[in-house]
Amino acid sequence: MRPSRLLRVTVRMMRKLALIGAGTATIGIVAIVLTSGRSGAQAPRPVADSTKAAVLAVGDTAKLLGPRQPVFFRHDVHAGQYKIQCQYCHYSVAVSSEPGIPSMQTCMGCHTLISGSDSGNKAEIKKLRDVSAQKKPIEWTRVHFLARHVHFPHSRHIKALGPNGCWTCHGEINHMPQVYRVNNINNMGWCVTCHLQRNVTRDCTACHY
Amino acid sequence: MADESNTSSIDRRRFLTVLGASGAGAAALSGCSTDRVQKLIPYLVQSEDQVPGVATFYSSTCTECSAGCGVHVRTREGRAVKLEGNPEHPINRGKLCSRGQAALQGLYNPGRLKGPMAKSATGSFQEITWDDAIQRLSSKLSAAGGKVAVVSGAGRGTFSDLLGEWTTALGGKVVRYEPFDYEPMRAANRATFGRDEVPAHDFAQAKYIVSFGADFLETWLAPLENARGFAQSHGFHDGGMSKAVFFGSRAPLTALNADEWHLLAPGSETALALAMASAIATEKGDPLAASLSAFTPEMASKETGLPAEAIRRIAGEFAAAKPSLAVAGGVDGQHRGATELCAAVNLLNYLAGNIGHTVLFGADMQVADGAEALEALGAALDGGQVAVLLVHEANPLYTVPASVGFTPRFKKAGFKVSTSMYLDETAAQCDLLLPNHHALERWDDLRPRAGVVGLMQPVMEPVFKTMSTGDVLLKAAQKVGGALAKFNAPTFDAHLKSKWQELAKQQGQSDADAFWRTALQRGGSYSERAAAPEVKLASGAQAAYNRPAFDGNGEFYLAPHVSPLLYDGRGTNKPWLLENPDPVTKLTWHSWVEVHPETAKRLDVRNGEILKITSPQGSIEAPVCVYPGVHPQVLSMPLGFGHTEYGSYAKGRGVNPLDLLVTKGRQPFVPYVSAKVAIEKTGRFKKLASTEGTPRQLGRGIAEAMALPLAAKGLTLEQAAKAEGHPAAEVNTERELEALKGWSDDQYERTRLGDYAGEHPQWGMSIDLSRCTGCTACVTACYSENNIATVGEDEILRGREMTWMRIERYWEGGNQPGDPYEARFVPMLCQHCANAPCEPVCPVYAAYHTTDGLNGQIYNRCVGTRYCANNCPYKVRYFNWYKYNERAFPEPLNLQLNPDVTVRARGIMEKCTFCVQRIRGAQNQARLEGRPLKDGEFTTACAQACPSDAIVFGDVNDPTSRVRALKQNPRGYHVLEDLNVRPAVTYLAKVLHRTEA
Repeated sequence: MRPSRLLRVTVRMMRKLALIGAGTATIGIVAIVLTSGRSGAQAPRPVADSTKAAVLAVGDTAKLLGPRQPVFFRHDVHAGQYKIQCQYCHYSVAVSSEPGIPSMQTCMGCHTLISGSDSGNKAEIKKLRDVSAQKKPIEWTRVHFLARHVHFPHSRHIKALGPNGCWTCHGEINHMPQVYRVNNINNMGWCVTCHLQRNVTRDCTACHY
Repeated sequence: MADESNTSSIDRRRFLTVLGASGAGAAALSGCSTDRVQKLIPYLVQSEDQVPGVATFYSSTCTECSAGCGVHVRTREGRAVKLEGNPEHPINRGKLCSRGQAALQGLYNPGRLKGPMAKSATGSFQEITWDDAIQRLSSKLSAAGGKVAVVSGAGRGTFSDLLGEWTTALGGKVVRYEPFDYEPMRAANRATFGRDEVPAHDFAQAKYIVSFGADFLETWLAPLENARGFAQSHGFHDGGMSKAVFFGSRAPLTALNADEWHLLAPGSETALALAMASAIATEKGDPLAASLSAFTPEMASKETGLPAEAIRRIAGEFAAAKPSLAVAGGVDGQHRGATELCAAVNLLNYLAGNIGHTVLFGADMQVADGAEALEALGAALDGGQVAVLLVHEANPLYTVPASVGFTPRFKKAGFKVSTSMYLDETAAQCDLLLPNHHALERWDDLRPRAGVVGLMQPVMEPVFKTMSTGDVLLKAAQKVGGALAKFNAPTFDAHLKSKWQELAKQQGQSDADAFWRTALQRGGSYSERAAAPEVKLASGAQAAYNRPAFDGNGEFYLAPHVSPLLYDGRGTNKPWLLENPDPVTKLTWHSWVEVHPETAKRLDVRNGEILKITSPQGSIEAPVCVYPGVHPQVLSMPLGFGHTEYGSYAKGRGVNPLDLLVTKGRQPFVPYVSAKVAIEKTGRFKKLASTEGTPRQLGRGIAEAMALPLAAKGLTLEQAAKAEGHPAAEVNTERELEALKGWSDDQYERTRLGDYAGEHPQWGMSIDLSRCTGCTACVTACYSENNIATVGEDEILRGREMTWMRIERYWEGGNQPGDPYEARFVPMLCQHCANAPCEPVCPVYAAYHTTDGLNGQIYNRCVGTRYCANNCPYKVRYFNWYKYNERAFPEPLNLQLNPDVTVRARGIMEKCTFCVQRIRGAQNQARLEGRPLKDGEFTTACAQACPSDAIVFGDVNDPTSRVRALKQNPRGYHVLEDLNVRPAVTYLAKVLHRTEA
């Protein structure tokens, strides 16, 4: 048998296996939806007035998805209600592979003056001011983990998708009182689907090296 | 067999698919990796020059030898991850040797002292606070009453100035001691030219280079500058090249790169140099001819055993080439007649008219005080004149031969203080340890030569609780007061900045701040080389030759040689330098003793046989390495091994040949080659940890070469072979070739499957073997850039080194006794074959061809079948048999890891990627800026480090690229071309500057 034919056979075999893989993956996703449905209620979707973030009572926060953060930082207030650009805080996302976590100084740039409108906000901002006064950083709990064998240049994606391109992978962060994982960023098929649609690189070494 | 794969029950790939899906279901959205950092900790205040994910470069100066090269330190997220050469620095011009790059492993060395310590009454070290440490130092200094002495390394700069003034104010004296100092050269220059200095040498201009034992490509003076110059003159260019000749008792890398090398008994090379000088003087009718008349080629022939004809010929060639260059000095030829040898070479250079052209005085090279100063200190110690002894950047208890007797004298000092970063032999005997910051953590500057002031700046927060010795001196000065009260700068960096303001004034710079900022960016202040002063022969300068005296009555001369990696032993605590094989013997991790093949045959000893080597001073044991580059009457051993302290990597590893030296008493320099030793077979064997496959090419055409006249005509290898009368054998019949081509074209087209939008580059490399010296700087660069694990001696013995790039050394000639050997070096790395044999055999598509011409290796696909490695004809694929990644980087060595490259785990195949992380990084940056990638904008780590610029990397599709032009070179060939694998690496054949018969 000529090697080229062997290759073709192998490719055909690959396709079949890929279908099987896709099938099992669908089952997996269904399972995920089911488990997530059990584990907690979906975050309260904002009503028609999307600029105004919902006021959350203490009891509501327990139902929120995603890990609890040391300070209840609300992306829906900052990025949604006040429309602060993502890059104001995630300063390096357009120039680097890493998005950048805002320094304490960035937080205090506003919160030296802004102390919150209701008691809930006030309490959280006070936490921020206290740790900042002690010159300690807030240790945020990480939400998105990219596997170590993947190199994801944020900057290229922001360049291609625009300044709000974050939503494509991270979901509508501007509507999330607490950030949670909307998409499995380590699902390569999900990456490749988008790359296929745009006919951009599917080369393995674009990300894996 | 079309469809039977469908009927197989469950293959490995499907098994993995199912496993992956169920795993995802169970763990919900938790991704593949579970052991990532769980917290994101923000900066308090955002640093202006640190962007996460983007490397920040700082300029600094290398302190690993006295050459003083400039480095760029690549830092990521506040830690240094790689050292590279500073392109603006006049000494190394962007290149960096293995030792310089391995300074990173000194910074993160697990053996570093973690804070100040004091020796307790029981003799063990106790951790103390810095306040306590400085209090202890100050009270001892106050009580010393001027009986203070300091031993320091050769580094000359603001710190050493301060140290000198500080010690003088206390009434003491600084002894600057460097083990490989150039005392014989200075003494000879005093005698011949009346100049007490070491000159600079311009190898780039020299058309004929003769070295008398000076290993100028590895360890002699400024090796990177020498290697660059040597490549410029000796690399084939414009139809010509210089010629190089080496004489010595042992052939280091320099000899193997020379066009001819001759092995002589130690000491006899002086007669040779004088005979050459005499021949030139007679020819020119120089007045010196009379005093040299005794040194005829026949006399030199009798001393050295070389034919008189050869001596005449070399002298004639040397005189005819203008300018030429003769060099001598350095440890490998430092016998008791070393000063006479250097003086003879001075005369040779003078008569050939090289002074002022290739030998440049007035360079003000950084040197130390020499062995006599240390001897004087020893006398003071004997006399009880030293109450406090401070040791800074020196390890005399290891580097001074035991027979000199410095160790017992050292112990006579009242209170001994060390500022060493590691617990070395000297520090272990001290009472107080005040560990200095590493050179990458502190402020300082260095003046390696006239016109060059290299600046050092902290590139990161200190790894441990160490303190800059500059600050220690200033703090102690304030506590002691009195004469020391004048050292009142608040910190050492304030002191340094004030000195640089003075320097700005001296250089006529009005804006001192701008001068400082520019210097910080450029790594220092560099001024044009001043014109070399007029040098005249000193009155009474004359030639002398006496056979040097040797100690002992053994049969063999013992010639310790400087390891280009371990240097004076300071490299032995760095795993890169231990694992990276010695360039000429290809041995790693242990000591060895080199024996000439004929001697080995006569004595019936073989590789790995352990010999007991005995001198009147004592005896040591080491395994034999049969090496054709050592004189039959000489045994040569590498220096740098045999530490009794100095961290877990160094301690107890190998033996120190200095232990055999018998030299005693007052002497102008340490005669390293001065013992005659006897040997005794022990009957035991040790397997040599060698990375060499086979020493011969066996007709495979790996390291090709052609004669200079043929290369000058622009012939290809095939044409050259025909011209020399041995056409290449027909490997395949025409029909076979046709079939092969059809198959390979088909394969090649298939690599284009899955192409996506746009034109793609084709990455390629060219390696010029007429420039490559085999120095292994590229190998260390590759280890550093690509997080390659060091595996250790045991694994190397099993052939499991992970070196993605290796330098293969092949011997030619030497088939009969007396037949000269010729060495050829070939850097061997993944050839990124367009028609790669590794790709079709991978069952999981982990090895595949990218559209831009790379042979990709996808770690997360790899399941470790190792089929690819079996099918690779170049043996450049490396398998992780164990968790090398967990063993090789004990804390804090893990901080050296390059975050751009995945650390490979057990069971993964890995290999050279053409630094794909650099390619993708540069492509990303270009795309962000909306511009095409320019040739030379980035390069691979090996090409960047290469001191002789032998490696060129780039896009072959780019019509303006350097690599494309080089690939058209007629000398170009592919290794194992007959296999039709279409490598992306083109080698340019070595050019042999043979002697015309």
